[in-house]
Amino acid sequence: MTQAATLRAVARRAALSALTLLLLSMVVFAAGQILPGDVARSILGPLADARAVAALNHQLGTDAPPVLMYGRWIGHLLRGDMGLSYAYRSPVAPFIVNALGKSLLLAAVTSVIVVPLSIGAGIIAALKHGQWQDRLITLGGLSLTVVPEFVSGILLILVFGVWLRWLPISANTRPGTGALEQLRHLILPALPLVLILFGYISRIARAGMIEALESDYTRTATLKGLARRQVVIRHVLRNALLPTITVIAAQTSYLLGGLVVVETLFRYQGIGSLILTAARGKDYPMLEAGILTVGVAYIVSAILADVIIAVLDPRSQAARR
Amino acid sequence: MLSAIPLRARATGRPGATIRVASNVPAGAIEPLTISEIGGLTMLCQTGEFLIFDDTDLILRPSLALAWTPNADCSVWTFSLRPGVKFHDGQSFGAADVVATMNRLSDPKQGSNALSVLRGVLSPGGTKRIDDLTVRFELDAPNGNFPYYVSSDNYNAIMLPANYAGDFEQNFNGTGPFRLERYAAKQGASFVRNPTYWGKPALPARSEFSFFTDQQPQLLALEDDQVDVIVQISVQGAQGLLRDPDVRIIDIPASTHRQLHLRCDEGPLADKRVRQAIALSLDRPGLVHGLFQGRARLGNDSPFDPIYASTDRAIPQRAKNIAQARALMQAAGHADGFETTLTTERQQEIPDLAVLVQNACAEIGIRVSLRIEDSGTYYGDAQFGRSDWLDSPVGITDYGHRGVPNVTLAAPYLSNGAWNAAHFRNPDYDRLVATYIAATDLVAQRAAATQIQTLLLEETPVIIPYFYDYICATGASVTGVAVSGLSQIFLQDAALA
Amino acid sequence: MKRTIRRLATPGFLFGSAIVLFWVICALFGPYLEPQNPYADDLMNPLAPPSFAHWFGTDQIGRDVFSRIIAGARSILSVAPAATLLSAVCGTTLGLITGYVGGWLDAVLSRLIDVILALPLIVVALVVLVALGPSSLNVTLVIALVFTPIIARTVRSAVLAECKLDYVPAAQLRDENALHIMFAEILPNILPPIVVEVTVRLGYAIFTVASLSFLGFGIQPPSADWGLSIAENYGLIVGGYGWTVGFAALATASLVVSVNLVAEGLQDALQ
Repeated sequence: MTQAATLRAVARRAALSALTLLLLSMVVFAAGQILPGDVARSILGPLADARAVAALNHQLGTDAPPVLMYGRWIGHLLRGDMGLSYAYRSPVAPFIVNALGKSLLLAAVTSVIVVPLSIGAGIIAALKHGQWQDRLITLGGLSLTVVPEFVSGILLILVFGVWLRWLPISANTRPGTGALEQLRHLILPALPLVLILFGYISRIARAGMIEALESDYTRTATLKGLARRQVVIRHVLRNALLPTITVIAAQTSYLLGGLVVVETLFRYQGIGSLILTAARGKDYPMLEAGILTVGVAYIVSAILADVIIAVLDPRSQAARR
Repeated sequence: MLSAIPLRARATGRPGATIRVASNVPAGAIEPLTISEIGGLTMLCQTGEFLIFDDTDLILRPSLALAWTPNADCSVWTFSLRPGVKFHDGQSFGAADVVATMNRLSDPKQGSNALSVLRGVLSPGGTKRIDDLTVRFELDAPNGNFPYYVSSDNYNAIMLPANYAGDFEQNFNGTGPFRLERYAAKQGASFVRNPTYWGKPALPARSEFSFFTDQQPQLLALEDDQVDVIVQISVQGAQGLLRDPDVRIIDIPASTHRQLHLRCDEGPLADKRVRQAIALSLDRPGLVHGLFQGRARLGNDSPFDPIYASTDRAIPQRAKNIAQARALMQAAGHADGFETTLTTERQQEIPDLAVLVQNACAEIGIRVSLRIEDSGTYYGDAQFGRSDWLDSPVGITDYGHRGVPNVTLAAPYLSNGAWNAAHFRNPDYDRLVATYIAATDLVAQRAAATQIQTLLLEETPVIIPYFYDYICATGASVTGVAVSGLSQIFLQDAALA
Repeated sequence: MKRTIRRLATPGFLFGSAIVLFWVICALFGPYLEPQNPYADDLMNPLAPPSFAHWFGTDQIGRDVFSRIIAGARSILSVAPAATLLSAVCGTTLGLITGYVGGWLDAVLSRLIDVILALPLIVVALVVLVALGPSSLNVTLVIALVFTPIIARTVRSAVLAECKLDYVPAAQLRDENALHIMFAEILPNILPPIVVEVTVRLGYAIFTVASLSFLGFGIQPPSADWGLSIAENYGLIVGGYGWTVGFAALATASLVVSVNLVAEGLQDALQ
């Protein structure tokens, strides 16, 4: 694929994604309209006077036709105004930004743990192809992908937090705690997500490794005198990175859902637990903004993955030379 | 000079400490008018003060008001205010501020949470400035316990300047011993000593509040020495902490309770024998033991908590009696039982209580199905016809601590009561409650109380199985933390030894 | 067929089937297997550690945890399979239509499916359950709603592949109507991938039902549902009362892993 073709493909993908994004915003808005509850009543609370409620409703324009309200909503969004939270009576945007940052931090910790762990396990499985280590890693990895995050989370808490006392149970630290200590508190919350991704990534690394072990490239290189292990590992690492990115991108939507559960279990104030609190408290502006953010995050990560793959893919690199 | 803090809580700790507190996250904006939950009200009392402080022994102590006297029938109360008090922004505190604050709180158009307390008692315009340090309250009806209505019990009633512009969350402008340093929604707040306080300067230099969404992380934070104080602990889930020798437990008997309402206007529950049967099926000592480890008092199906001075303690305590319950069901024509739904909120031990009630009713043939909702859905619009709380045949509602039973006798039980989920309509009861509220001394109150307690035992529109203690936990080295049964926490005498 | 059955007999498939069968038996015959009433409270004995009297200890209001674990199998094994079955029927129909008929219907539905898939299942379920209120029926409907497009996608791909084969144009030449071609001709040939996909979906359905119960949007008290038990009791971990959640977690893990092993075995055998 030439560079021009790559750019065209990415541009097409971006356009399609923009369309999906637009449709997503419509779906989220429509869902928000059918949710039960009176807007002004939610803001003023159950004890407010009925006249005050009617006045606020009129002021907020909740009695306008839906299309007009949608237009207003999109207009505000594009200017960065995500509306006012019913519960906090203050702008939603700072809460979302703060929570998103925390979730991204957790995602980063997860990635840092899972990538070396799974690729390493995949390599070991391939080197011991057919033996008990291979079966253990393969079957174990596959099984772990279906264990719900709160289940593995609870078991991890009980073993590493309560029984062995190696890791702290709470994800939160006092403001002013050192960065290292803060990261240490994120290990247990990251582990359930790690376990879900482990199976997929290790399987791909293993497949890539096996293919590499049997390929011509390896035979040629070893004939030239290089250690087999070294050749294979370098080859695999270069090639495992791409599928790993694909896998993580494919699992993003799933993982973002997993964040809701993990953040609830560990009381971590990320975007997942923000959505849950907003859902429980019927804080619809917060809920809609949160869902849209999650949807956007998924779409953006998909495009990003495409771009990275297009840039790093050795086949496209070869064409460019 | 009298301090707002009860004498016995004053300690001689070292000044200058930073007290770190774990408290519940406020559910909404910090607006004194509308706050209705623990997280928010804890914030209000850090920098705000009330006219009167309702202490843990339910005795009123002067705060911003020095003295208060009623007229002959308790329909007019005259308060003299403390001189030399300044708000944090420099304005002087005086009668004009009291008038403005009380008018705001009692005005239906403002929709304050305090209306639940003041409606029918004090109306806008009823508060009159006599001179700069004297205020007169002209009540809608005679009320012997009126001072409680403007005390710290009415947690929205912190005194604000007359020119208050609705911006409390930005500056926390009040008269208290601490002033705001920083407030971050959902995260925490910090306060510093107020150098121009009217009373003894606060011992701590600073206090830092961290907000938590529920109990477990707070317990962990205390264990890890990340905080010094946890504002409120419920026994469920804290059983480990309550046994910990490194933790100091402050246990205050309070009138916090649950009302299990039984609708009196339709279905099998309209027959009071059925309601009595349900009340007789509950093992109340078991509930106190199992749910609270004994840190609660038995309830006798009326708002009269044994800790109130006016309660008649000679009334026999209702106990579990399945034989009698079954006999009552039979007499009412329901020997085969019936079906009903119990709707309630997911709050502390209430879901467990709902399951226990379900099991108890099963023993007398009543098949109860449960609907446990989140609090917002349960309360709905808080209007009849638009609220699961007020419309359900059977439900459990949480009621917070109050220094006197006036509010809990009125709104949930009066024929026109706004919180009358039981749809109880009894003219004798209405008359007796009016007598109690208008009573000018303790003897008269007790006389009315005896009759009310007896009537409620007979009619049983609401089952109140227990009143439970307010529990606060601190590190072993922390001293001087003062509290109220409402989970208000006062740190001006706090120190780390 | 016989070859398929022989290929199924791998250790993973057999082990998984055994565990699934165990839980199915618990779901069907729970009341006969429970040593004590899983709903009976004992206020004098709350939070008792595992002992002879209570093999898995008691919970906050004194109920026997062992009996509740057995009783909990029923709730998770009634909602998840129902949701999966519903989504299988709807998804197969949808996939057949979009794959065979194609055209603008296909294009529009594909876009819509993309949008739904951009949102995590849990988040979609939360919003719908906030609107409709949490109940077993609503959870079933929500999961069916979100799984239908996933199954439809798989079926659509399979249909597109089938349409390139000879027998489809042959049937069209014979003037068979579209319904007949889709359901009588194509469907029988694409059953194996559908079966595999549905079994995999069952695993995820169990996963999602349990997660929704944990978040408080699923089954209601006093059900002994495992996710609900964990949600009700995980605040107690700090106090050292791990048995109130540990056994429910292990039970859930064993069920989902076993279903997955069965799905993997089926996939290997049918390919």
